[in-house]
Amino acid sequence: MSKKNNIPLNKHAVELARNNAVPIMFIIICAIFIPMAGFTPSYLMNEIITRMGRNLFLVLCLLFPIMAGMGMNFAMTLGAMGAELAIILVADWQIWGIPGVVLAMILSIPFSAILGLVCGTILNMAKGREMITGYILNFFMGNGIYQMIVLYIMGSIIPIAHASIMLPRGYGIRNTVSLLNMRQCLDDLLAIRIKGVKIPILTFLLVGVFCLFIVWFRRTKLGQDMRAVGQDMEVARAAGIKVDRTRLISIMMSTVFAGIGMVIYLQNMGNLPTYTGHAQIGMFCIAALLIGGASVEKASIGNAFLGVILFHLMFIVAPNAGGFITGDSMVGEYFRVFMSYGIITIALIMYEAKKRMNKSKAGRELAQAQKEEGAA
Amino acid sequence: MSEKKDHNLNSPSKFNDEMKNVLSAHQATELEKAQMTPLQAMVADYGVPRMIITGFLLLLFIMTPFVGVNLPMQITNVINRFSWNAVLVLAMVPMIHSGCGLNFGLPLGVIAGLLGGTLSIQLGFERFGGLVSFLMAMLIATPFAVVFGLGYGWLLNKIKGGEMMIATYVGLSIISFMCMMWLLLPYNSPTMVYGLSANGLRPTISLDGFYNQVLANFLKLDFEAIAKSQGISLGWLEYIKIPTGSLLVFALLAFLMWAFLHTKTGTAMTAVGSNPNFARAAGINVDQIRTLSVVMSTWLGAIGILIYQQGFGFLQLYNAPNNLTLPTVSAILIGGALVNKATIGNVIIGTILFQGMVTLTPTVMNAMVHMDMSEVIRNIVSNGMILYALTRKQEGTK
Amino acid sequence: MKSKRRILFILLTVLILAAVAGCMMVIGRGHTVYFDNKTLEGYQGQDYKAYERVVVTVKGEEVAKLGKRDRGMSIWIGQNFKMTLEVTENKGDEPWTQEVSIKLPYSVDGIVINLPAYLAGLPEEAWFSEFVPLVTEEPEEEEPGTGDEFGLGDGLGLEDDLGIGDI
Repeated sequence: MSKKNNIPLNKHAVELARNNAVPIMFIIICAIFIPMAGFTPSYLMNEIITRMGRNLFLVLCLLFPIMAGMGMNFAMTLGAMGAELAIILVADWQIWGIPGVVLAMILSIPFSAILGLVCGTILNMAKGREMITGYILNFFMGNGIYQMIVLYIMGSIIPIAHASIMLPRGYGIRNTVSLLNMRQCLDDLLAIRIKGVKIPILTFLLVGVFCLFIVWFRRTKLGQDMRAVGQDMEVARAAGIKVDRTRLISIMMSTVFAGIGMVIYLQNMGNLPTYTGHAQIGMFCIAALLIGGASVEKASIGNAFLGVILFHLMFIVAPNAGGFITGDSMVGEYFRVFMSYGIITIALIMYEAKKRMNKSKAGRELAQAQKEEGAA
Repeated sequence: MSEKKDHNLNSPSKFNDEMKNVLSAHQATELEKAQMTPLQAMVADYGVPRMIITGFLLLLFIMTPFVGVNLPMQITNVINRFSWNAVLVLAMVPMIHSGCGLNFGLPLGVIAGLLGGTLSIQLGFERFGGLVSFLMAMLIATPFAVVFGLGYGWLLNKIKGGEMMIATYVGLSIISFMCMMWLLLPYNSPTMVYGLSANGLRPTISLDGFYNQVLANFLKLDFEAIAKSQGISLGWLEYIKIPTGSLLVFALLAFLMWAFLHTKTGTAMTAVGSNPNFARAAGINVDQIRTLSVVMSTWLGAIGILIYQQGFGFLQLYNAPNNLTLPTVSAILIGGALVNKATIGNVIIGTILFQGMVTLTPTVMNAMVHMDMSEVIRNIVSNGMILYALTRKQEGTK
Repeated sequence: MKSKRRILFILLTVLILAAVAGCMMVIGRGHTVYFDNKTLEGYQGQDYKAYERVVVTVKGEEVAKLGKRDRGMSIWIGQNFKMTLEVTENKGDEPWTQEVSIKLPYSVDGIVINLPAYLAGLPEEAWFSEFVPLVTEEPEEEEPGTGDEFGLGDGLGLEDDLGIGDI
């Protein structure tokens, strides 16, 4: 009797392990690295909590395009650019503290919305290759349009009053813009300390509200449409859903929320690396989400939370662990980058292989059905 | 099945005819062309973005004398840069032909080339002269490129349809993996490692005394030297220097590629790229052909980076290979290639246009407005070109 | 009908956001306030002597202890600047405290207040001046995005930002 019960249980465990292979692997990596790195638990806790507050909002933004079947939104970076433009202006207007953060969030919305609109339109033109198109769009916008605005237009056409954020030549923004006066103001308000671990309640509250919004949104008509489009575009179209519009909205939402997330991120960092701030945001957020056990077509809020914790744990301990193993902390730094890229690569491969397998299976079934029909 | 195969492959002419039909499917049809005015037809043939870029480049050329830029020197620059980059751009061709899309996995080949280059230095082949050192670099790079290419090709066969995104990330992964390896591998040639600690390679390694300029100097046409030796003045011609050797190697490789594409295997490759179902029906082993194309692309990438570096004079490791991929991809697209169609002509035109833009924009802009917007312009043009190619609807893919 | 309500709703949202943004612009304006404990000479033929010692407290936090000819600074968000001054007029005197609230002009970033003049009740022009940051000749910052002459090292793709750095 007990034997009989055990077999499915074992199978169940194996299944569970297979479905969560990536998070389990990362838990093991972290478990090995943490003792090597030699950080105190309270330091680690502090770092993780800070980074959760900083990154969770951004990671959650990725959920909308996944819902609509557009894969990982590599163009999430566009929202970050919108936020950066807003924050440069706010810094120049000298709006400080919480009002500055709120203003930057509101101001980022039109920028991100326009960028999202462009992005969504382009992605609708490139159905089936959304991810690579989004990836290239990053470079197009980031190294092209954004740089043009910030490096040449700001200060010459858009008035910038303060020399402290301007390049000495008289136009263009400096490599870093100090946000000292709004540094961690969101995190510090309502923050509590437990055994030396600072918990930014307000930031987590914002993340919580966003999570609730996502849960609610999934149940709305638009959310249902999005999921239908994600399942099968043709079926959705036949059901009378405006496919292109729904996809556009999902990208725009992702971009706009990414803008707000980026403001949270920047107020925590306390300074803005003008030309590199956005470059890696998309990549790291995607890696974090995937490490949390998400796949290209399915992701949940839980994946985002777990992913941010595991990814950042690895990120914190890798340099020291690398130094411990090889005597060179650069190895650890490269290792964490390698892991980020590697995990995205593996997730993409798994996704494409599965898609192809399903396709051929569907094809075979269709052929089978036709054969039977022919025979009948 | 076997009957069909025999029928098709034993009559290459018919096979080629059919192929031509398949290939012309995504161009403007003859009927459509007949309805257009000649000008429209020309534009349709050449493509609007390419038109804009060519126009832009012509404008820059015309402006050079007025803003006081030395045109012959710029031409020398363009030729030089063409000789560095052309083979890398050529590396795009096989994979585009076999329908694997744009080779965003170029870093794989580049890494193979870098391994060859560093090993050739490590093993001290410069004792036998720069040329031997260079040839050995190519020779050592080859097995790496083949092995990488085989693995990469196998992978791409598993994920048909999503090649480009995965290729991008395979490239990024291998670069970051090799970043670790450059630090960890037991290189010890004093010219390459960090001075004191002797662990880890330098990010930039000078090739002076190794194979710097070995191809470029072969039969080099240096009008300045000629003028000096003859004791005459050649005027503006003196600024022109042509790295004949590099150009010859490119010409050889391009010719081989052209010839290959006209062999039976080459035609089969084109068939696989244009219409895999048709190709399969014709009895072509699609996976095998695709793998072959990937190996070729990777190998050309390896050779390409070595040629690049002998011209540039430095080996660049760590994250440097990253910066090559997108410009190379956009160069062939600027040349008029599509995601599933490319010719040698595209390679040549594209490289000239792209490198012309890269060289001329900064100098002309600087001379004109003292505002160097060239990089931004270059980024917009090159990435915009890739976006344009990706968003175009293509028949015959997948 | 439905679309009309939708448009109304969107307009309302935009308006509210704009209003909040406007609000933030007013209440969030930051200023740097400098206070000088310096003798003001020859204002309408009179001198106003610097105090021996002034302790400035802003929002319950002591921001400066000024001796003669000292300058202190504090940051303030909004226009109604409040501080508490604890003034020792001459050596050995008993200090007296005074709460001070000053309306800061919106458009000025840095404001310098001459304390002796202000506490003597002089008109604004006597104690108020705008802080103009010194234009320091800084070493030319390397402009981002100007790469070298060659194709490789410049920012054609990801420039040395393969994630090295903090996130």
